[in-house]
Amino acid sequence: MNECILVVDDDPEIVNAIAITLEREGWQVLKAYNGMEALDHALNPEVRLILIDVMMPRLDGLSALIRIRERRNLPVIVLSAKSEDTDKILGLSMGADDYVTKPYNPQELVARVRSQLRRYTLLGDIHTAEREGVLVNGRLTYDASERVLRADGDVVKLTATETKIVDLLFRNLGRVFPAEELYRRVWNEEGYACENTVMVHIRRIREKVELNPKEPDYIKVVWGIGYKMERHGA
Amino acid sequence: MDTKWNGTEPENGGEVEHFVAAQVRQTIEPETAEETAPKRRGQAAGAVIGFLAFVIGVSLTLGSLGAMAERRLMQRGAEPDWSGDWQNTQEFRDEVSSYLMEFLSLGATGTTGNAWYQTAEAWDVAEAGGWRRQYTEIILKDTAAESRPVEGEEEALTAGEAEGENAYRTGDQNVLYLIMQDGHIRYKNVEADSAKPFRDQSLEGYNFYLTYQDGKASIFKDGVELDVYGDGIYVSGKSPWFIPGYENLQAGEWLDGATVYMAVRKEPARYWFQDSGGGRYYYGRMYQVAQRAEEARTFYIRQLVLLGLGALWLCVWLAFRREKKLADAKIASWTGRLWEEVWVLLALIPLGWLFAADGWQELYWACREIWWGWEPVYMGQLAYGAASFLLSSLPGLIALGWVLYLAFNNRRYNPREQRKSLLRSLFRMARSLLRTLRMKDLERPVEKRLNRDNGLVLALLLLGFTCSLFAAAVALELMMRNHWSVEKWLLLLAGCVVEGALILSIVRTFRHRRLPQDLGRLNRQIESIRAGDLSTPLDLPEDADLRKTAEALNDIQAGMKTALAEQTRSERMKVELISNVSHDLKTPLTSILSYAELLRQEDLPPAAADYARIIDEKAQRLKTMVQDVFEVSKAAADQLPVSMERLDLGKLLRQTLADLDDPIQKSGLTFKTDLPAEPVMIDADGKRLYRVFQNLIDNALRYALEGSRVYLTLKTAERAAETAGLARVSVRNTSRDELPEGVDFTARFVRGDESRTDGGSGLGLSIASSFTEACGGTFQVETVADLFTAVVTFPLAETEQEAER
Repeated sequence: MNECILVVDDDPEIVNAIAITLEREGWQVLKAYNGMEALDHALNPEVRLILIDVMMPRLDGLSALIRIRERRNLPVIVLSAKSEDTDKILGLSMGADDYVTKPYNPQELVARVRSQLRRYTLLGDIHTAEREGVLVNGRLTYDASERVLRADGDVVKLTATETKIVDLLFRNLGRVFPAEELYRRVWNEEGYACENTVMVHIRRIREKVELNPKEPDYIKVVWGIGYKMERHGA
Repeated sequence: MDTKWNGTEPENGGEVEHFVAAQVRQTIEPETAEETAPKRRGQAAGAVIGFLAFVIGVSLTLGSLGAMAERRLMQRGAEPDWSGDWQNTQEFRDEVSSYLMEFLSLGATGTTGNAWYQTAEAWDVAEAGGWRRQYTEIILKDTAAESRPVEGEEEALTAGEAEGENAYRTGDQNVLYLIMQDGHIRYKNVEADSAKPFRDQSLEGYNFYLTYQDGKASIFKDGVELDVYGDGIYVSGKSPWFIPGYENLQAGEWLDGATVYMAVRKEPARYWFQDSGGGRYYYGRMYQVAQRAEEARTFYIRQLVLLGLGALWLCVWLAFRREKKLADAKIASWTGRLWEEVWVLLALIPLGWLFAADGWQELYWACREIWWGWEPVYMGQLAYGAASFLLSSLPGLIALGWVLYLAFNNRRYNPREQRKSLLRSLFRMARSLLRTLRMKDLERPVEKRLNRDNGLVLALLLLGFTCSLFAAAVALELMMRNHWSVEKWLLLLAGCVVEGALILSIVRTFRHRRLPQDLGRLNRQIESIRAGDLSTPLDLPEDADLRKTAEALNDIQAGMKTALAEQTRSERMKVELISNVSHDLKTPLTSILSYAELLRQEDLPPAAADYARIIDEKAQRLKTMVQDVFEVSKAAADQLPVSMERLDLGKLLRQTLADLDDPIQKSGLTFKTDLPAEPVMIDADGKRLYRVFQNLIDNALRYALEGSRVYLTLKTAERAAETAGLARVSVRNTSRDELPEGVDFTARFVRGDESRTDGGSGLGLSIASSFTEACGGTFQVETVADLFTAVVTFPLAETEQEAER
């Protein structure tokens, strides 16, 4: 594939470490050390994805992101030490496709890069696949008629029960299901003390679907209320 | 010493056994509650018996004792006569003595009125230094006894008939007499013309014979001669017979030659006669003596029987005294419903009874004497007065006693706040009414209140001024009429001073009319500063009284404004600092972690690979710590964003347990949970609260003794009238290591284990604590020996309102 990835960070050691990790996965890496350099490289058509830090000299990551977005449509992952919800929301609303906090987990970073690239390259496919009964939520698509869940275009192998849960959650994006209701609708039984059972299945689905199952983006617990599938932009 | 120790040991052992047995009994007893039901019924019966016995016993005992005391004190009725022989009483002896006196007088002078014994020569035997003579003249009273010539006697009683006896002819035949002077019969009420029947003691039905001859008396009772004079010296109040013939009590010379025979009937009869109006008058001196003796005897016997009965009942009470206390408590629970004033009213009834009995007069006189001047002797009088007052109406006294008993019983069992009192509640009502009025008044602006008060004062002053002017004019007019003196000048001067003071007061009050307005403005300014307005200063006129105060307030306002700005700035700087430090720590940490990871992927010699692993692990821990420090610092700076929502705390706990199921299973600890099935709704940030319980469970997993049990419970306290309901989660576990004492576990970087070699950041409980508080709950840690307890408390959300909606 040899897609080229632009890595931007004012700390050369970090850039280097990311570059090594990504190159090991078979990608080419372009390096930049501030926002201005990033702008220069971003126009390079070889670049398919940008990993960019926020706090940088000369031009900060978010400003650079806005300028890049004016010229090009390509996935951008923001990589920042700012880990608060407000920072994440700000980054995502500025046009970032994903937000990874430092210190990052290398495997997770690779997974997120891969996910973004696949979605980007498969974008055309997804659009053509937008037919009756196919639901799209971020990097996940669910074919309701065939009961097939895809993550970044790949079919996720689910058991019958897991499929029922995904089916219920996907058809009701954002709605919170108490464990009892989930149990009743999936197992067709009254659920008493079913929290553990539900949680086990949720955890399994997360391991198959989420990039970082410990910090899930899609299948979330609403503490003290229930479970839900978070709604994501396309 | 050894033997002594040995000796005490079994005793101690016995005590312990006894104690254990008592404990066992205590624990068993609640289970055998059904068996105690009949016992309780028995107790109720015992209570009734005990109380009745107490009431009856005390009433009888006190009643009989009081009645006897009253009789003795008031000297009412005759002396008791235990043998039942009425002729053996002092009253009888006195009566005989007075009969003799009358007969002697009759014999000598023809009337009973002026008989007296002369030259009563009393020797005080005990007086050292010889005999001392005391002359006493005892003048005999003119008693109720009539003159009885033989002829006149019949007339005295002709109007009536004797009961049982034919008194028509002989008059009062209870006492027969024959009075002779110098050998001639002067008076008699017997048929016989000589003293023979008297001397022979042969009168039928008469058993008491007295013969007075030659200045000496001899008495035969039932044929036996009595010792009349004893040692021959009359001692007042001691010698039984007040009859002449003692060495110091002789008949006067004019009684020489008098001889009196008298006989008294064994069983005296009662006489009566009818007056012109048809009413019956009873008569019979000896009959009365006999009757009174009999009455006294029966009275004392009756009282003693009652006393015995009372004592018997008191014994019953002693046997049931424990149960009687139950009755007391029960009665107190009834009387507790009464107003306390009822007791005063109830006590007034027997008190009125006592006063109605006239006994108070003695007390009143005693008090009056004392009022005029205190003498120690009055003490006795006072005591006598008090006693006669109290004893004057025994039923009243006993009733008063029981009213007081009930009142004190009521006080004893009912605490003050439970007792009802009409006066107290009225007083409370009045006070709360006044307070409401005052509060209502306080709601009005201060200047209005002051203006009103000032207006009132001004009006009063003007009124006073007008009145005093009028008074002064009248006084001046009156003074002008007469000539002038120094006093009048002084009076005029005083009047001028008063008028001047009044005028000054009026002027001052008028001048201060602007003060209330300024005060009002000042008040409002303070209110608005409190509400947060720090920019508008208060501008009072230059000459205002409160100008200085207003300026001071403006300074405070300005100071507050600066301080607030300063504080906001420093707060912001603090948060920025935390944020920056966190960022600056994370950047190198990212490099470390990245390269550690790369290093681990390299093909390293085993030792180097191990080093790389250690670096990676420690860097991971550093990462957690940095994250935790950041969150705790934000929470400490009150900058922790929380999104509150209504959630079920029980569900959250179940979810947390399910989420941490893996590490719990692996830990080998047993989690004992007690979570209610129904929802426990609170308002909190679910994510933060999850961290709280995650940290608590994590803490238990990390520090609990291997294989021990961890208890996680959720309890709710019901919503009371004023306090909101509470949800209380507690996590309890037994610590593996000894818990140090006096350590605040919620402080940052505190761990039970001081060496800090475990994987924790030392911030778990600190985060739990600050997150709980950020969500509006309270977090507490208690350690007792090795038992570690964390308690998270949240107010329950208002569910009733939702239900209504």
